[in-house]
Amino acid sequence: MSALVEIKGLTKHFPIKGGLFQRQTGSVQAVTDVSFSIKKGETLGLVGESGCGKSTLGRCLIRLLEPTSGQIFFEGKDITNLKGEALRSLRRKMQIIFQDPYASLNPRMTVGSIISEPLEIHRIGESKRDRINRVQELLEVVGLRKEAAFRYPHEFSGGQRQRIGIARALAVQPELIVCDEPVSALDVSIQAQVINLLMDLQQKFGLTYLFIAHDLKVVEHISTRVAVMYLGRIVEMAESEELYKHPQHPYTQALLSAIPVPKVGGKKQRVILTGDVPSPVNPPSGCYFNPRCPIADGGCKVTQPELLTTRPQHETRCLKVSAQL
Amino acid sequence: MNPILEVKNLRTKFTTHDGSFYAVDDISFKVYEGKTLGLVGESGCGKSVSSLSVMRLIPSPPGVIESGEIIFKGRDLLKLSMDEMRSIRGNQIGMIFQEPMTSLNPVFTIGDQIEESLKLHKKDLSGKQIRERAIDMIRLVGIPSPEKRFFDYPHQLSGGMRQRVMIAMALSCSPDLLIADEPTTALDVTIQAQILELIKKLQTELNTAMILITHDLGVVAETCHEVAVMYAGKIVEYGTVEEIFNSPQHPYTKGLLNSVPHFETGSRRKKLETIPGIVPSLVNLPPGCRFSDRCGFKTDICSKQEPKLETHGGHLTACHNPVGAP
Repeated sequence: MSALVEIKGLTKHFPIKGGLFQRQTGSVQAVTDVSFSIKKGETLGLVGESGCGKSTLGRCLIRLLEPTSGQIFFEGKDITNLKGEALRSLRRKMQIIFQDPYASLNPRMTVGSIISEPLEIHRIGESKRDRINRVQELLEVVGLRKEAAFRYPHEFSGGQRQRIGIARALAVQPELIVCDEPVSALDVSIQAQVINLLMDLQQKFGLTYLFIAHDLKVVEHISTRVAVMYLGRIVEMAESEELYKHPQHPYTQALLSAIPVPKVGGKKQRVILTGDVPSPVNPPSGCYFNPRCPIADGGCKVTQPELLTTRPQHETRCLKVSAQL
Repeated sequence: MNPILEVKNLRTKFTTHDGSFYAVDDISFKVYEGKTLGLVGESGCGKSVSSLSVMRLIPSPPGVIESGEIIFKGRDLLKLSMDEMRSIRGNQIGMIFQEPMTSLNPVFTIGDQIEESLKLHKKDLSGKQIRERAIDMIRLVGIPSPEKRFFDYPHQLSGGMRQRVMIAMALSCSPDLLIADEPTTALDVTIQAQILELIKKLQTELNTAMILITHDLGVVAETCHEVAVMYAGKIVEYGTVEEIFNSPQHPYTKGLLNSVPHFETGSRRKKLETIPGIVPSLVNLPPGCRFSDRCGFKTDICSKQEPKLETHGGHLTACHNPVGAP
């Protein structure tokens, strides 16, 4: 299988302007030098805490944000600098599902017009009748009734709205869907329904997902591979099961151990990190994780580690781990 | 051992344009010294309303506590005057809210805000003693350099630090009961682990009774001694944490436990078990058992008669067809 999307050295720094002439006084280093590829039909999970740059990365990938540097390839073509009509037709192949189902649907539009809007923009369907049929088909695919097309978003619950968001993303038959925290705002029992739906749709339509979430449990469950981000960089990337069984980076280990497990007595050794995530405006020197790292030493304060293969199919960005090889 | 707090048959009613309904309908529970009771359930199940009822903080109108008793250290809180209630809130019962940014006042320093409840409730302390006590509290919740932080405003602190301030405020008068309403929901996992560890440590040190409200079953399993699972305003299952997690009896509890992805080999990318449908609207509940329209074990009686909370498999469950041990 070939890579559907590939990014090389993607960097996104947001300028901070200030002073009399609005000169640039600094930058928020949201994403720094990220490279990975996603194969067709695969799900790449992206985890990290708030502010680690996972959403920015997802948005850069589908060209909703302009990257500062780096390259993005889609189906082998460099799409980093596409413009105008070429970019618009590319959008048909890449869609996004947002986190907040309350904010991402226009309250003044009926569900039918929300879902048919992408069809109109991309001129899919011969007639209005065609589009209505397509909308009804999509509603059924995501598990809603056909009548839902005539109703407004406020008439639906959170889980149902998220289904509407999914139907809108599916409307143009995309290849890639960026799922940006699609289940974080939902209750547990509804979360499971939406996760199952996403997995079903993937099988049915051969979709490729970039699945962004802060919940490692959910990401592990749905993803084939997982990338862990910290302060704009990928610190560890491996197959989902491998990452869970053999986490290498101390941050991944801490993340895994911090997750409360709904089981009694299954008490595990917990690594509790001290302090907060540093600001991406002014990241620490050397390894970004060193101020919170339980195993950091003097070298970690000076040298920025590289993302290196530390086990088969498993990359880690840590001086201590690569030193043991 | 006598419970610190005993809630008996509490019913809290809300009247809205859509009609009136009981957000909390006939619930009873007990909380003991040094122990934590977890109230779990999905949004709208009444877990926050129960805790606000205990504090008598239900906005009225539209809400009103219609019946029941809330016995706190031998006194029925529902019979107290507003002034008496005010001397209990923040003094003998502390509360931590979910969203630390909106529950702190942005125009006062955190020191002022911690001192406020001490000034109100500990009238015998001098100004100097109050300041010392406040600084001690900031130190106790693990905020570095407390003397300096005392003068910080909430916006200068991170989410985790703000939640620590909230905990310091809630515990400043050494309450007998602490109500924590989703204390870690707004926080990242690594910060959540810090805060939960802190709450547990302080509870053991101060021997406070606690009600922990959460939707996260993992948090419950790791911090609570007893659990009450709520659904649509009712307690559907009530027992020790071992009983609830090791032998859930109610199909809803079981469904909730199964719908969380587990880290287990071979379970990856498999379908999760789900509870079909959505939580019913409280204005328009199904007849009989409130869970009946989503339940896989439904029989005829379920839509006719509301089940009572009775002992099944060693603990209380409100179900006609308890599922038994897994």
